[in-house]
Amino acid sequence: MSADITRLDLILRRRSTIGYATGMTLYTFVIVALYPSFKTDASLDSFTGSTAAALFGVTSSLTSPAGWLNGNIYANFFPLILLLLTIGYGAGALAGQDEDGTLCLLAVLPRRRRDLVAQKVLAMALQALFVAAAVAVVVIAGRSFELSLDAVRVVAVSVTSLLLALDFGLLALAVGAATGSRAVALAVGTTAAAVCYLISSLAPVVHWIRPARYASPFYWAVGADQLSRGVTAVDYLVLVAIAAVAAGGAVRLFGRLDLH
Amino acid sequence: MTPDVATIGLTKSYGQTMALRGLDLQVEAGQAYGFLGPNGAGKSTTIRLLLALQQPTSGHASVVGVDPQRDPVTVHRQVGYLPGDLALYPRLTARRHIAWFAAARGLAGAAAVDLVDRFQVDVDRPVRELSKGNRQKVGLVLAFLGRPRLVLLDEPTTGLDPLMQAEFEALVRETVADGRTVFLSSHELDEVQRVCDRVGIIKEGMLVADDTVEGLRRAAPRRITATFRRPPPEDCFARLTEARVVTRDGCTIELEVTGALGPVLADIARHDPVDLVSRPADLDELFLRMYAGAEPSHVR
Repeated sequence: MSADITRLDLILRRRSTIGYATGMTLYTFVIVALYPSFKTDASLDSFTGSTAAALFGVTSSLTSPAGWLNGNIYANFFPLILLLLTIGYGAGALAGQDEDGTLCLLAVLPRRRRDLVAQKVLAMALQALFVAAAVAVVVIAGRSFELSLDAVRVVAVSVTSLLLALDFGLLALAVGAATGSRAVALAVGTTAAAVCYLISSLAPVVHWIRPARYASPFYWAVGADQLSRGVTAVDYLVLVAIAAVAAGGAVRLFGRLDLH
Repeated sequence: MTPDVATIGLTKSYGQTMALRGLDLQVEAGQAYGFLGPNGAGKSTTIRLLLALQQPTSGHASVVGVDPQRDPVTVHRQVGYLPGDLALYPRLTARRHIAWFAAARGLAGAAAVDLVDRFQVDVDRPVRELSKGNRQKVGLVLAFLGRPRLVLLDEPTTGLDPLMQAEFEALVRETVADGRTVFLSSHELDEVQRVCDRVGIIKEGMLVADDTVEGLRRAAPRRITATFRRPPPEDCFARLTEARVVTRDGCTIELEVTGALGPVLADIARHDPVDLVSRPADLDELFLRMYAGAEPSHVR
């Protein structure tokens, strides 16, 4: 399969991708560099366990390396940025380009529609991977700032965060393929992500939400303190399965979409 | 020989709106076919269905001998396309557009050199800085890239200056002379009759005429102005089914004739004419009548 459409989309979005990566790298560096100043601040730990802390995804001690990174990066800001990137691209890649009028020139190239979707999925994954890799490199380098974390776990959580972002990005892509509307795809993607985030983050402190956490991809990516306890095969499996279903749906629905 | 474009009962509806109603169309290979109709008549919808960009509600299409719904890849390999609302990537230059689309079709970048020269495309500026006409020229280069067997053009001369329109018309003639087929939609009669062998007129999703330009001209209404010695009776031409009185001014009557002239001349002769002027067939009038809702006069 050719990757020319992937390359084209990466060229068209290179500025925003570099912008996301640069912003996240700087933010991550600041968080990493600040850790030595806060690691002995016991008052931070009193925050843990509150509903407000849960809303930010903080579930463990903020003075531990894993808790500090979870509370400031992996449980909230990092997935948010990745989701902005993937949902934005997912909504724009098919529905948005159809609304703009640029998709028809791609759709009349001599290739199947499913190949076109596959190349869009690859472009989404590569953009998110670029940002996730930049963050992982800074975090791993952060061991020189007393953030002693297992590099394998950092990479593993980066992968689950990437898969999490792909799950919702592909959902937006599938909704765009079904409706041809960028606005609907954005709305469904962001609403689903927001609801799932709330479910996963509030589950530890709101008991009636607790059983629902298994339905949230956030739980399988970052919501079960994966940075401390490690990522399990089930975590990967659930996130990959959701991505596969959403990508399959996008292929199937795009095959039926009337283009302009 | 298989026609390059054929549709049978092609129908497309969007919810309650019928965009195409049982379109039967046939375009032979090596023809320039003009597809005329007012805005919203169904021209763009037809082209999108031929390219499998959309799915028909019912009916079938065949493009270069292949069902585009079943095998769009084979169709797309042999077809060039210019959309009606051409949209390009604003930040990319025309050169990058042409190089990318040429590569995506497995062509060398040099395949477009002749077209770029002909249309004097400004290849080095981002397309967002180009005028509508200059962007349209990029679209035409992309449509004719690789000498496709069939070129589907939706309102191709939009924004082009007269020089470039002439260049486009020359390219269409060369393409047809090469045995390839051009299917172009337009709402401008002049453009179509200059370059097309055959013309189809679509209105409200239905084909109301399909003939050669000459055939349509023969069927177009003629105007006859007859002057009589005395004012003829009010109902003197009432029995004629293919002629109607357009104006009456004392002894002078203007008639519009859509059929044979014999019965009209016979009726005129009965009322002692002193002068008779017949104007040649007017294609514009035919199209205006069809657009306005008069009965189709020459449906194949």
